[in-house]
Amino acid sequence: MSNAAITSSPGVRALARKELRELRRHRMIVATAIVLPIAFLVLPVLNLLLYEPSRAIGGPDFAVGQAMFCFFLTPVIMPATMAAYGIIGERDQGTLEPLLTLPLSDRELLAGKVAAILLPTLGASFGIYALYMAVVALAVEPPVRSPALDWTWPFGLLLAAPLLALFSTLTGMFFSARSKDVRIAEHLSGLVLLPSMLPVLLIVTRTVEPSVLTWCVFAAAVAAIDAGLWRLVVRAFDRERAISTA
Amino acid sequence: MRCAGPAIECRAVTRRFGARTALHALDLDVEAGEIVGLLGPNGSGKTTTLRILATLLRPDSGTARILSWDVAAEPMQVRRLIGVMPERPSLYDRHPVEDNVRFWAEVHQVRDPGAAVARALEFAGVADRARDPAGSLSKGLKQRVALARAIVHRPPVLLLDEPSSGLDPSAAASMEGLIRDLAREGTTILLNTHRLAEAERLCDRVAILREGHLLQVGTPQQVRAALLGHIVEVEFAGLVDLPVRRAVESFPAVREVWWSPSAVRCRLSDAGRDTPELVARLVRAGAAIVAVRPAGDLERAYLELMSQPVPGSLAA
Ligand SMILES: Nc1ncnc2c1ncn2[C@@H]1O[C@H](COP(=O)(O)OP(=O)(O)OP(=O)(O)O)[C@@H](O)[C@H]1O
Ligand SMILES: [Mg+2]
Repeated sequence: MSNAAITSSPGVRALARKELRELRRHRMIVATAIVLPIAFLVLPVLNLLLYEPSRAIGGPDFAVGQAMFCFFLTPVIMPATMAAYGIIGERDQGTLEPLLTLPLSDRELLAGKVAAILLPTLGASFGIYALYMAVVALAVEPPVRSPALDWTWPFGLLLAAPLLALFSTLTGMFFSARSKDVRIAEHLSGLVLLPSMLPVLLIVTRTVEPSVLTWCVFAAAVAAIDAGLWRLVVRAFDRERAISTA
Repeated sequence: MRCAGPAIECRAVTRRFGARTALHALDLDVEAGEIVGLLGPNGSGKTTTLRILATLLRPDSGTARILSWDVAAEPMQVRRLIGVMPERPSLYDRHPVEDNVRFWAEVHQVRDPGAAVARALEFAGVADRARDPAGSLSKGLKQRVALARAIVHRPPVLLLDEPSSGLDPSAAASMEGLIRDLAREGTTILLNTHRLAEAERLCDRVAILREGHLLQVGTPQQVRAALLGHIVEVEFAGLVDLPVRRAVESFPAVREVWWSPSAVRCRLSDAGRDTPELVARLVRAGAAIVAVRPAGDLERAYLELMSQPVPGSLAA
């Protein structure tokens, strides 16, 4: 089965539905999934609403860049906890063993879990960005409004957010497949994810011009990394190792 | 579906964990529709055997097949054919009982999952708890849900790891009844248990493991006979009289005999073959027979086996 066809298999969809139900019932994950996007919506909105040219360091572009950084950070941070739980979480609650007796291949199993993490992540990432755009259009002063509504921002976010979310999810799943403890998995993926946000920082601060070409090059690079990571996660996932608690 | 040969087949299956060999060249067949019980002390390799058959562990050598599919080479085919109840009930505690079972039905692509879930819960006797979070159930009810989950796709082969462990006597008896019902419908069942009386009642055959070696396999009667001899006990309504003594002592199949005032214990050449003839001779001699039973039970046979020295290899 090709990687693309995998997500349409009924087993994968059943697993993704189960995962979504499970994430909904996990208090800490729900809390993270609510608090984080709200914080990442409120901060940039306040930042632009309270923008005062005489006080702010950097021009309106800098203020908009700060706001955008939050929107690119959301799809990277949100999956981390969910992905770290992906495999170790099942093992710790004792459900991994029966799960592995189901007719799901390694790739189907991982794809179902990845899909269930991407859905709420992208929903929240795009949702808060849409709200931000609405507030900006209605309430923010023109000098800040026009750079904030520059169409290359939504273009870049639509293109890059799914790929960044996938990057973060796969990183978390890799460590979840290989670690013995959820916290270790979270910590290790944090160590990988934070430096990887550097290129985004360069774009939002306009060190590199945020043009269509820049976003396409960036997206292509993240996509290539994602493809490699997917292969790495599939290889790292070892059923015997996953069920053994030793 | 390929299914020439036994439903479950282990050929020289060996599994090591580091330096420890958990399973030494296990040979075991389970025929379609049979209930076979794996018995043995803690750490004897029962769970390892079931995990290998459930595609969770790979054998280091040898082959294991379910309905002719090799568990190591064709695990996806095997997973479609098995229902597994692990050592612990392992449910999603935060999910309602019915969601736990429904997920299994959906992944197995059962045609009408709603109906299949309702049927499985009904069968396991937990339909009234369908909406409760699985975590709120008692241990015995969780085991029932785990059974419902294992059978929701009506697998031809069931692998049950200590299905009645931790259950009170009546819950264990009802679990036993459920397992018997499944076998009656044609399901092949391999189960682990420490309850020897249950194994004796429930299993068509038992296999006794010790330190990864298969020591005995056969019907509970055969195992008992092999270990305790072919001893039969006959109880009479009154005191034993002379014609009854003569009837027993003149029967050539009787190897040894022990008398008590109103009972006799005989070692027969083959208890299965000779018991009816012994009873017929006693009746002709005018004996008022109250009970005829094999002396000793599977538990005694098991303890006898465990008291023998550790084997170097498989005893046939
Ligand atoms: N994942 C593992 N890693 C290392 N050793 C293991 C592992 N699984 C089982 N073993 C060892 O293999 C042997 C057989 O274990 P197994 O779980 O099959 O026993 P069992 O017969 O099911 O025992 P019990 O009646 O206690 O459930 C034991 O010595 C056990 O310690
Ligand atoms: Mg065990």
